Formats: sequence, structure tokens, C-alpha cells
Amino acid sequence: MVSPVLLLAVPLGLALCVPLVGKVSRRAAGFVPVIATLLNLVLSIRLLPTVLEEPIVANLGGFPPPFAITLFAGPVGMLLSALIALAGLVVSLYALSYIKTGPTVRYHTLYMLLLVGATGVVLTGDVFNLFVFFEILCISSYALVAYVGDRAGIEASVKYLIQGALGSALLLIGIGLLYGLFGTLNMADIAARMGSADPVPVFVAMALIVVGLGVEAAIFPLNAWLPDAHSSAPSSISAILSGIAIQVGLYAVVRMVFTVFGASSMLLFFVFMGLLTLLIGELCAFAQSNIKRMLAYSSIGQIGLIIFAVAIATTDSVTGGLFQMVSHTLGKALLFLAVGYMVYRSGSMEISSLEGMGRRMPLTSFAFTIGAFSLVGLPPFVGFPSKLLIVRSALVGQEVLLQVLIGLVLLATVVEGAYFFRVIQAVYFKKGEGQEARQDAPPMALFSMFVFVVLIVVIGVYPNLITDVLESGASELLERANYIGSVLG
Amino acid sequence: MRATVGLILLAVIGVGVGISLLAIPFGAPKTEIGDYYIENAREDTGATNVVTSVVVGYRAFDTLGEVTVLFVAALGLGAVLATAGGKRGRSGVEPASLILSAGNIFLFPLILLFGAYIFTHGHLTPGGGFQGGAVIASAFLLVYLSSPGKRINESGATLTESVSGLVFVAIGLLGLTYGTHYFLANFLPKGTLNTLFSAGIIPVIYCAIGLKVGSELAGVVDNLMEETE
Repeated sequence: MVSPVLLLAVPLGLALCVPLVGKVSRRAAGFVPVIATLLNLVLSIRLLPTVLEEPIVANLGGFPPPFAITLFAGPVGMLLSALIALAGLVVSLYALSYIKTGPTVRYHTLYMLLLVGATGVVLTGDVFNLFVFFEILCISSYALVAYVGDRAGIEASVKYLIQGALGSALLLIGIGLLYGLFGTLNMADIAARMGSADPVPVFVAMALIVVGLGVEAAIFPLNAWLPDAHSSAPSSISAILSGIAIQVGLYAVVRMVFTVFGASSMLLFFVFMGLLTLLIGELCAFAQSNIKRMLAYSSIGQIGLIIFAVAIATTDSVTGGLFQMVSHTLGKALLFLAVGYMVYRSGSMEISSLEGMGRRMPLTSFAFTIGAFSLVGLPPFVGFPSKLLIVRSALVGQEVLLQVLIGLVLLATVVEGAYFFRVIQAVYFKKGEGQEARQDAPPMALFSMFVFVVLIVVIGVYPNLITDVLESGASELLERANYIGSVLG
Repeated sequence: MRATVGLILLAVIGVGVGISLLAIPFGAPKTEIGDYYIENAREDTGATNVVTSVVVGYRAFDTLGEVTVLFVAALGLGAVLATAGGKRGRSGVEPASLILSAGNIFLFPLILLFGAYIFTHGHLTPGGGFQGGAVIASAFLLVYLSSPGKRINESGATLTESVSGLVFVAIGLLGLTYGTHYFLANFLPKGTLNTLFSAGIIPVIYCAIGLKVGSELAGVVDNLMEETE
């Protein structure tokens, strides 16, 4: 059996090789992330059938569970690690042509470490180990946001750094409290002892941990850093931050609340927080005239939708939430990649400057349109089955409250449709000034965009390809006892 | 208004954390896991220093992560400073006094030796890779202060950083293939307790960490020195 630790150790080792490769050839350094993410993608997909039958628990160092660090590779972990590797692979291909200037070797190293951090967060079964990988993820994102080196980038990065560091500090205090209360750091062990604990300190620890992780997960009102950071970063990094980083933060919140704390009484609160995050994100996105800020706010909205779905906590709704994670990664990463070259060619991030792009960059514009349609939830794209599942799961229980709330969710989707169609209208139906010469994105960038386009259409038409994984992922999150049992034996 | 809200929020958090801390019995010998480490650490890992046996034995994977956190931070600092400022020489800095530069000649090798001592004896005495690495970096800081014209050999630092990190990962992967087939398992002979050549992979990992942390922190000092003009 292949150990899931290879998903972390091999890319980490390769990340350490990047500076050495960079000494030999700066260009070759860009190919190391491609190799590492490809290996991870293959390995994750190979492990998927195994973990669907039974999760793999890897005890690192060879000591029994509560005494050593445990990796837990269940359906959710494998799904997300495959998603991280997939998005990482496509974006690293894109970066081969997109990242030309600046300290490129450091860019590729940091980029790989960001992915290692994200993979570590989704695979670990230990709360302190979670913190360590979370820090790797966050610190590499702070640095990459400032990569362009302009004023806006540095300012966004400092804002992100301050809020993120504060969040990390709260997270660490929360983990410290948990360790003090239970004398263990293993997630399953803490979960098993949760029943016997005094509720007040447990609540305080949960509040600190959720707030700490919530900064990275961009839950309202902890997301003030996000629009600046996602819009000033290089577009390849925006794609990863929006498509991967915030969702990994969200996964950590879900894992802590569902598995470790088993806080079913808090779920209604999260339903409302999700809805609030969704509405605020979509309404702010509607008000933007800067395309990258619009996409950043739209990510906040999507995260809100995922929180809303997962917090309803039925098998269908959690499946829908996980599905929405997949469709958001594919759609939003594609949008940022397409916008990256549109902004590069037009020289401005204003939506008005994208007028006439449909003629100037037809293929990129087409990719953008597919991504936008998918995010809005039009068939036959991947956003349609995922949103449909969420709506259906909220209606099936016949609860009046949820029926009212789902009305608001649909309203937010209408708003989402409105601002995306406004951009599409500018791209296709308005005449740009002057240059009409056709100049599309470079072939490698187009190739990476079309990988996402193909996936969006294929999964949209055949959602059954991944529903097995999503459903067993949902039951992994909902059934705590199984998680505890499979780790502690 | 904002200050009031801030104060109220702070008070709520303070009271909450205070109540929680009251529920934790500090100093009491309580946790199963702590007891287990104290009872079994020497036998399990071969290290006399129980702290080390936890840091590089039971929770070595966290340490690999921590080393990576430092690597990311140093790298990120380098990337941000490189894009924001570009390389500048340190011209026009006043030379250091004779006492400082003469003292440096004697102290530099001694500090390096002391740092190396701390990380090679991490499994026997207090200290370890991180501490030894920080001591080594302080030797380089002294060089910067005493002779402003000198620069760290950047290729050398990168090489040390990457290779020592790779050694850590490689030891982990070897544990996966040899012996008990666990990542970071102690596959080397544990030797006699309380001798320098004991505890299997622990001293090897600590040497790698010491060199890595030393070169990284020296690199951080180097990066920041460029900017202070």
C-alpha cells in the first residue's frame, strides 16, 4: 500500500530542489512544480478507490496514534488533495508563460510550498500539525501576494499578513486550550474525550479556533483582507488563493466543527453566517468596476454558499457543499487565469477596458464565458449540478426556515448572474477602441485554461463521475464515530 | 466608538480565556501522553533529552513542518525585498572599531563551534537544531557588524539550505522503506544511551536542522542588511 505521506514528502523534497535547479537554469525551475503536482495528482487518484472502501491512517514515526502524528486520508482528504494537485498542475503550466519577471525561482519554490501546506491541512489528523501546515500555507501566500512588488501588492500583502497572523495566533491559543483540557493533540482522541468535558472552556476553544481559521476561510466579517489580496496578486496566484487556499481554510473549519467538536448545536449559526457571507459577497461583487476585485468578492459569495450547504448537515447538503467546492475551484481558477491575460493585454483591470475582447482574444474570452456560466450555475456546466443539489437538499426537509433561506440563496445567484453577464456583454457586445488586431493568450496558457473548460463541461454533463467520492466524503464528515474508530481502532 | 467596541470584545475574550484557563489543572501530573513520553522516551528513541525525543522522535513530522515554515518565511522575505528594492551594495557604511573587528576574528570560529556543539548534542543536553542554528547565525551577524563590506556567499547558503532540508526529507523517506516502514521511523541503531553516537536518526536530523536554520537566519540577516542604509 502506498502511504499518503508521499503526497507531502515528495513535493516538499522537490520544493527544496527548486533553488538548486534554479542555479542551473532559471527556466527549468518552473517545470519542477509541474512534475510534483502531476505526481500528486496521479497518486491521489490512485489512492481514491482504496480510501472509498476504508480510510488510510498513517502513523508517522511508527508510534501508536495518540502519541505520534497521524495522517488521515479519507474520501474528503483525497478528494481535496486531488483537487489541489489538479489546480496546482494547471496553474503551474499557466505560470510557465505568465511568470516571466521578478525572482522567478523564489516564486516557484513558494508556490510549491503553498500547495504542500494546503495538502498537509487536508490530510492531517492532528490539531498542532494542522497549525504547522496552515502556517506554511498562509506565509507563502503572504509573500506571493506581494510578488509583483508594486504599492498595491505590498499594501495588500501587509494587510493580509496582519490579519492572518492575528488569526493564526488565535488558532494557536485555541489549540493550546484544547491541549490543556484534554492532554492530547490527536483529532480523533480529542473528539473521543469531548463528551466528558466542561462545556464553557470547550466553547471558548472552539470560538478561538473557528475565528482563527475563519480569517483564511474568508467567513464574514473576517474577510477584509481578501479583495485586496486576491486582486493585487499575480493572476496565477489569485487563481490558487481563490480556488484552493480559502477552501482549504474552510475545510479546516468544517473538520474542527464537525469531527473534533461535534458541535451540532452550532450549525444553525453557521447556516446564517454562510448566508450572510454569500449575500454580502455577491452584492459587493455587483458594485465593483475592477474585474479582479469582482472575482474576489464573488469568491466570498461562493464560500458563503458552501458554508450554508455544509452547515445544513444532511448527507445531500454536505455532498452539495463538497460538489460546490469542486465547481468553485474549477470555475474560479479558470476565470482568474483568463482574466490574467485579458488584463495583461488591455493594461487595466477596469471592466470597461475589456470591451471588444471577444474579437481581440476570442479563445480566452470563450474560456472566461464558460467559467462565468459555470459559476452562475447554468447547465450543462459543473456549477449546475452542484447548485441544484444544494437547493434540492434544502427543500427536501420541508423546513420553512430553510425554504425561506434558499430563496435568498437563489436571489444571490441572480445577482451573480447579473454581474457576470455585464462583463460578458462588455467582452462580446461592445466595441473596444482602436486595436482590433487579434492577439490571444500564449498557447501554454490557453492549453491550461482549456483543461479547466473540458473538466467543467465533462463533470457538468456526467456528475456521476465524482458523486460517489462526494457522498462518502459527506458521510465521513457527518459520522464522527467512524472517524474516531478508524484512527483509534 | 471603535475603541469601545474593541475594549468590550477584548474583555469578552479575556474573561472567556480566563475561565477556560481555570479549568486546566496546571502543573498537575495528569496527561497520559506526557506520562507515556517520560516513561518510554529513552527506550523508544534512544535520546536522553526527553524534549528532543518528542521534538525529533514522536513529533518529528511537526519539526519538518516547522523547518519548512522558517524556510518559507526566509524565502518570502527574500522575494519581497528583491521585488521591492532590488540589490544594493552597502557602500558608505562606517568601518567598525578595532575592538569589534579584532574581537570578531577570535569569536567567529568559537561561536560556530559552540553552535555546532549545541546541535550535535541535542539528544543529550538541552538545546538542539534550532538553537544551534540561531547561534551560528549570530556569528554571521557579528561579521556583518564588524566588517560591513563582507557578504555571505549566497550560492553556499542556498546549497546548505536545500541540501540539509533534503537530508531531513530523505531520512523520512528511508524510514518508509527500511525497518518498520513508517515515515520518519528511527531505522538506525539506537546505540548506548547517553553517548554521542546514539539515538539513531535524531542527531542526523538535528545536524541537518542546525545547518539549515543557521544558513537561513544568516540569509535573513543578509537580506535585511542590504536594506538598512
